[in-house]
Formats: sequence, structure tokens, C-alpha cells
Amino acid sequence: MGKEENINTPETEIKDDKTTNMDGRKDIIKVNNLVKSFGKNEVLKGISTTFKEGEVVCIIGPSGSGKSTFLRALNHLEEPTSGEIEIDGFDLSKKDVDINVVREHIGMVFQHFNLFKNLSVIDNITLAPVELKKASKEEAVANGMKLLETVGLAEKKDARPSSLSGGQKQRVAIARALAMNPDIMLFDEPTSALDPEMVGDVLEVMKRLAKEGMTMIIVTHEMGFAKQVADRVLFIDGGIILEEGTPEDVFERPQNARLQDFLNKVLNV
Amino acid sequence: MKKIVIKKKISFFLVFLLTLVTCLSCLSYLKIDNKDQKVMAAEEKIKPKKKEYSIVLDSTYAPFEFQNAKGKYVGIDVELIKAIAKEEGFKFTYKYPGFQAAVDSVSSGQADGIIAGMSITEERKQSFDFSDPYFDSGIEVAISKDDAATVKDYEDLKGKTIGVKNGTTSQEWLNQNSEKYGFAIKTFDDGDAMYNALNVKAVDGIMDDAPVLDYAIVQGKKFVIVGDKQPAGQYGFAVKKGKNPELVAAFNQGLAKLKANGKYDEIVAKYVGETKIKPKKDSYSIVLDSTYAPFEFQNDKGKYVGIDVELIKAIAKEEGFTFTYKFPGFQAAVDSVSAGQADGIIAGMSITDERKQSFDFSNPYFDSGIEIAVNKATKDIKDFPDLKGKTVGVKNGTTSQEWLNKNKGKYGYTIKTFDDGDAMYNALNVKAVDAIMDDAPVLDYAIVQGKDFVIVGDKQPAGQYGFAVKKGKNPELVAAFNEGLTKLKENGKYDEIVSKYVGGSSSEKSDDVDETTFAGLIKNNWKPLLVGLGKTLSLTLVSFILASIIGIILGLCAVTPIKPLRAIATVYVDVIRGVPLMVLVFFIFYGIPHLLNHPLNDYVAGVIALTLNASAYITEIFRGGINAVDKGQIEASRSLGLPYLKTMQKIVLPQAIKIMSPSLINQFVISLKDTTIISVIGVIELLQASKIIVARNLQSLRVYFIVGVMYLIVITLLTKLSKMLERRIQ
Repeated sequence: MGKEENINTPETEIKDDKTTNMDGRKDIIKVNNLVKSFGKNEVLKGISTTFKEGEVVCIIGPSGSGKSTFLRALNHLEEPTSGEIEIDGFDLSKKDVDINVVREHIGMVFQHFNLFKNLSVIDNITLAPVELKKASKEEAVANGMKLLETVGLAEKKDARPSSLSGGQKQRVAIARALAMNPDIMLFDEPTSALDPEMVGDVLEVMKRLAKEGMTMIIVTHEMGFAKQVADRVLFIDGGIILEEGTPEDVFERPQNARLQDFLNKVLNV
Repeated sequence: MKKIVIKKKISFFLVFLLTLVTCLSCLSYLKIDNKDQKVMAAEEKIKPKKKEYSIVLDSTYAPFEFQNAKGKYVGIDVELIKAIAKEEGFKFTYKYPGFQAAVDSVSSGQADGIIAGMSITEERKQSFDFSDPYFDSGIEVAISKDDAATVKDYEDLKGKTIGVKNGTTSQEWLNQNSEKYGFAIKTFDDGDAMYNALNVKAVDGIMDDAPVLDYAIVQGKKFVIVGDKQPAGQYGFAVKKGKNPELVAAFNQGLAKLKANGKYDEIVAKYVGETKIKPKKDSYSIVLDSTYAPFEFQNDKGKYVGIDVELIKAIAKEEGFTFTYKFPGFQAAVDSVSAGQADGIIAGMSITDERKQSFDFSNPYFDSGIEIAVNKATKDIKDFPDLKGKTVGVKNGTTSQEWLNKNKGKYGYTIKTFDDGDAMYNALNVKAVDAIMDDAPVLDYAIVQGKDFVIVGDKQPAGQYGFAVKKGKNPELVAAFNEGLTKLKENGKYDEIVSKYVGGSSSEKSDDVDETTFAGLIKNNWKPLLVGLGKTLSLTLVSFILASIIGIILGLCAVTPIKPLRAIATVYVDVIRGVPLMVLVFFIFYGIPHLLNHPLNDYVAGVIALTLNASAYITEIFRGGINAVDKGQIEASRSLGLPYLKTMQKIVLPQAIKIMSPSLINQFVISLKDTTIISVIGVIELLQASKIIVARNLQSLRVYFIVGVMYLIVITLLTKLSKMLERRIQ
């Protein structure tokens, strides 16, 4: 495994204006009273919230709190037990809504990258656009190369996933999700499985994405990143949203005792 | 009448025709009377005392009762009793247990009535109450066609010699009338001899049962009937003496009505309409033993020869029937005929009462005996008593086996049963058994061919060999065989064939190639072995490809989120894996034809069985391979909007196939080895081909060594090839 490549794009100033006004933006995801049970175990106990177009939301909470399940429910990787999810005006509970079409608009990045081991890097990226007839093979490859450049991995296009480091894998996974030109990006603990020195490269890519105005919902333990990038932070515990607000509100003026407790544990290690 | 008593299967066509003519001549008169009879009948309507009467019939006694091609019982008795039941408003259930069982069940009160071509005799009247006779049988005299101008009636028989079978009604009649008409009587022990005697004019005339004689003439004998048919008994419906009188009354009344309204004639005519042996099929399939010299065996050129082979070919030619031949081995041949896979069997098969339960036999074509052989090196066995404590080998289902079982207590040996002759002969060769018992011609032939065996003890009578068909099926085939056999015996062709094989000079023995060396064996047998290998490979490849297709589909079903599909895959795998391959093979080859009512090609049956078997294992391999691909990749693919099947196709299967390729190669090798099991139904793959060679030259050690090496080479090559492919995939 080689050492991490530096991202070739010039350092851009990170979005620091955490008081971006979201009021004028339209709602892109509406979640109403979402419940998910695994057998008798109720993991989500009625979550209602709304995500606006271009909003960057970080979801924090202790492990087992249901935050990943909530994220996975948004594109129906987990079938909700009850409640409604509306994405881009599609009500996912309706039978006539083709979940595959909805998923084309939602990119997802996983903790364990989940690259297709039988395909090269560029094939990982072009598979979906080509198979779903979003682009010709040539267009897809051209677009894929652009995306690889933005994540700093252009020279790895023919590499096998097994030859990449964790950070490289995750950046390829982001490029793969972006290749479908999604409206929303879901990140499920994207840096949790990475060695600490590789976290930065991945977060860098995500920051740039946020700055470009992508709607992002991120389950993360990177509190610093959340503070810096998020428009809003949700604290989920026990399957419900216990507190939400701007990063300042949540991190500096936590109201809920469990949030306070959680932040204490995470921030003061 | 002997013929009736022993229930020989003979068609009574001309008798029916005579009856028909008589009845037809009365028909117009009867039709006028029809109405009056009905009125009369209505007045004395007989009431059933039971809700349902049970009627028993013979199981096969064409044309009175027999199964038609669709397996349904038909025949004069069947239709008559049904028509009478309908006429009289009686309800019946029917059973076809066979003649003796039918008689017994009525006399024991198990059944209420019997109609089974049963002659009305004084003796039987002691235990049964008979209805009015419903059918007349008779006896008659036939002479050569050449004498038809001079001999026209019984009076013309003066000074002539009349042949007759011993112990028959015909004999009684001739004895009573010999003085009156002034003829001499010559007695024969069997029909064939008597018919031959008339053929060669050793006698001037013969007397026999009318249906038999008529049938012979229809079948082409150059005989003519002289004089009137003599009454020789009638068939009646019967109940147990003193029981169910209303049933007899109803039968009589119904019979009268049927005769009056023409229905009786209709029924009889339906079954006696056909009077010539005509092939009913374009081609009959005949099965033979695979290795039963001198009756059937491959000569050193790989061609099947032997008494049975030449006989059936000569008869087929004589009778204008078209046959296909197969040599699946004795047990497989017997099974195929009883399963309806094949139409007839000629395989040095002894005519036994037990077999008569399931087969209809031709006239015997060979008188056999059975005897015991020991290895020449064995000095302590000189006669049957010396067998005490020894092991005697025998082929399963043979007369020898019966004899051994019967005399086991007397001589104190143990019996080891073999499925085919090779195995048994080899066992004696290597002294795995101390002695073997087999048919005398076969053992004699083996010794002539150089086996180091000696015969001990006396030859035991073992009856006669017959050609056989499934009971009630293909009666025309038996008739054709009988007729053809008679012709061959007449024209000397039969003796020619038999003497060729057992007449002493073993002209078939190969002397140009020494088969006791590997070089000689290979030089002489490479062709059949390669053909067998080709069959083995084609069985393997075809079944493996089909099994892979089924395996992929069911493997996908096994991992699908859809529950019913998963259940189907699970049940399929459990069922197929739970049945031994050989049982599966037997079930498919012998069982399925019963369902389809159509024989199944042995190769096809083999492919089906191998495919089913391998597909279950391949399904499991696929299931395991697919499950081994991590779920995260599936989720990633689905999150991109790729549908389930697309995900399977593009992401999961390519990886799964890599994961499972070692298991698939392994399964392929197992499948190739499994093809040897298909030899049990007579497919000549490599093993069966080698068994056939061993049967001829008895070189089991060398031949099986060669075959083992062939399997080893092929499997090693294929494994190497697969490994190379596997590496290229990786």
C-alpha cells in the first residue's frame, strides 16, 4: 500500500459561514414519524424531520442509537416498518414508486467502501451510469476520469480495488456515487474504518462537495468536521431525535442531558 | 380341455367368427322379437340384494380379458359383464387377480361372481353355480391343404393317421371315433411336434382346439379344416354354489337381452375382427442380456452375435416385423420389459410359473439345464454334497438361483448373488466364490472358450427358454415369434443357428489376436473402449451443462429475498440429495415410462438422472458462492439504483463463480465418475463397454486396469484444463 496522494486541486477556503439561511430553499426530503423495527427490537421510534436542498446535515449519536439505520432507511436499504419518507416529491411508501429510480438520485457512501471487487476503479465508477443508460461508455469514462481527478486518484483508474488503501477506496466510492450525478449524498460513517492519517483526504473531498452546494446527510463521529461543515446537527439517541440545531447550538449550548453526556465523552478523550 | 385349463394365451378368432355368422343369420329375426323380449324382461325384473357385487376376472386371457395399450382392461368378458350390469341395473366392482386367484376368491366368498373364460365342467359344478353358457369353444380336425381335394369330411379319414396331443379333449374324441371312421391315432407330447408332423406329412391330419387351429391357419399354416367342429365345452359365469342366485339369474337375463339386441355380437366382433398377425408398431424394441454367451455376446469385432440374436433376427425377417435391439444386461432387460420400456425380451430366459405372472411367454425355443462349475484348481468339490460350507455364486433372478435356494438346506452351502454374469465368472476366477451355478450352455461355452472351470455334479433340468413380452401387452409379438420359430424349425434354419454356437466347433473364437496381453487387448478393443469413453464424456458434458443451468437458477432462488422461491430450491436440493443416484436412475428409466405410458431412451434417462443429481449439488455450490460475496457490495450496487438481477449479474455472480470454481471442478469430476452408474440401465459408456469385453475374453484384471487408467487420464486432463481456465479467470 503506497502512501496517501495529495489532492491535486488547490486548497480552497472552507465554507465558514455557518449561518447560511436555508429558509428560502425547497424541502428535498421529508420524513414523518419513521419507525423501523428488527423483529421485536424497535430501532427507530418515530423520527420526523425535513432536509432542505443544499443543506449539509450531520447526524451524531452514540453507537446503537439508530442513526445509521435512519440513514439507510432514507434510500430504503432498510425497509421502514411505518412512517413516510418523501424524496424529491416521491412518496417512497407508494407502491408505484420505483425505488431504483429514486436511488439514482441519492448517492451513498459506506463505512466499508463496498467497492466492486471484480471491477477496476474506473469500471466501478462507470458501471451504474452505463448499465442504467445514463451515459454512453465513452461519456461515462470521461466523466469518471473527471471525478477521479477531483478526488485525486486519476492515475489509479485501472487499479483493482484490492490494491488501494482505505482512504483511496473511500474516495473512489465517493466518485462512484457522484458518477450518477445525484441530488443527495448520504454518508454512513465514511471515515470510521480509516487509519487516522487517511481521514483528512476523505474529509477534504467531502468539504469541497459541501461547498459546491450538494445536499449531504452525514452520519459521523468527526465532531470537528461537523462543526465546520454542517448547517445543522441532529443528535439521535434511542431511536429518536433528542436535539437539533446549528453546530454552535448543539456543541456549545447543548440542552439535553444525554447530549451533554455524549459530547463530554467524545470531546474530552 | 387342457388348453383352457392351463390358460395358454391363444386367440380364438375363428370360433368367434363362426358364432358371429350364426348370430348374424338370426339377427333380423331377433330384432323383430326385440320389443317383446324387453317387455318380458321388464316383467320379471330381478332385484339386486347387495348394493355392489364384486366380480373377479382373469388377469390376462386375451381376448376375454386383457389390458389394452392404454393399460385399461378390455375384452369380451369385461364388456359382457359391464353391459349385463347396465342392462340389469346391478352394480359391480371388478378385480383382475388371475384365473386361479379369481376361482379361489369366489369359492372362499371373497368375491361374488367370476367371469374368466371359465369352462363349465361337472367337476366345477360341485362348487359353483354356472350361468347359461355365454361362449362355445370346440375342437376340430385339420389336414394339409394339398389333401383338401380328396379329404372333405370325417368319412374321408379312413386309413389315415391323425395326430393329437396327449391328454386333451381332442384325444378323447378321437379314441371314441377311431373305429367309426377307421383312422389311426398318433400321440404327440407337444403342439409344435404335432404341427411339424403335419407339415412334413408324417401324419395325415391333426385334431386340436378350434381356436388354436384356426389361429394357426390365419397365421399362414397351409392347413384346412375338415368336418364339423365338435363341441368341447362352454364358458359360463359362475357364483359360489348356493350363493347369490339373483346374480346368475340377472346374468342369464342380461345375456339373453344382449343377444337379442345385437350387443353381444357387437362385443364379440370387436375382439375377433382382426385375424392376421400384423405389427402394431413400426418398430419393436427387443432387449437382450448384455453378456450371455452363447445366447448373446459381442464377438471380437465388437458385434453382437449368439443364438438369441440370430434367432430373433431370423424371425423378424420371416415375419416382416421391424425390431431395434438393445443389450442392457439381463436384469435391466427384464425390468425394461416389465416397465414397458421395451416390447420384448429374448435373453436365455427360462419359462417359469413365477415369471408367467408378469410375462407372456412364447413357445419355448431352447431346452436348457443348469449346472455347477468350480475352478479347475479346486480339488475338494466333486459333487453337490461337497459344497457343504462353500459359497456358490449365482445370477440374481435366475433358475439357478431358485434351485440353489431350494437345495440350500440339503447341501449346506451359502449363496452369493451377482447382478451379471461377468462379475460372477470373475468371482470364480479369483476364487471369491468356491463354485458358481449357471445355465449349462453358458457354462459349457465358457469352458470351450478356455475358462479353467470344471463341471461338478449332474446337470439339473431347468426348463426351457422363451421369448417374452409384458403380460397382456404386444400379443401379436408373441404370436409372430411362435409362428416364426415354427417356420425356422421347419426350414432347418433353427438347427443351423443353434449348432453354430453349441454344436461343438467354436468357430467364433478369435485366434488372430492374443487377448491375454495388454497390447493385444488394446489392439483388439481400442475401438469399443473409445466409443464407450465418448459416451461417458458426452453423458458428463451434457448433464453437467444442463445441471449448471438448473444449478444457477435454483442457486439464485436459494439466495433471493422471495420466500417461495427459496422454499422451492430448498425442497429440490433436499429431495434430490436424499435419493441415491442409482435409485434415481432406476426410477427415471423404469418408473417414468409408467407415468408417460411411453418408453424412455436409456441415454436420455441417464442424462436426466445425472442432471438432476448434479444440479442439486451445483445449486448448493452456487448458493454458497453467492453468499460468500459480501453483502456490502450488493447494497452499494442497489444504492446506485441497479436492480437486483443486474446486481447479481454484474457484481455478485462474477465473484461467486471465482469463489466456487474449485468446487465446480470437483463436482465435474464427480459427475464424470457418476456416469458409471448409468451402466446399470445398459447405456454402453466406458464401464459397460469394458464389462462387455470382459464377458467375451474374461480378462477382467487387464481390461479393468486399462479402463481405470483411461478414467484416470481423462479426469486428470480435465482437471488440469479446468485449473488452467480457473487461473485465467482469476
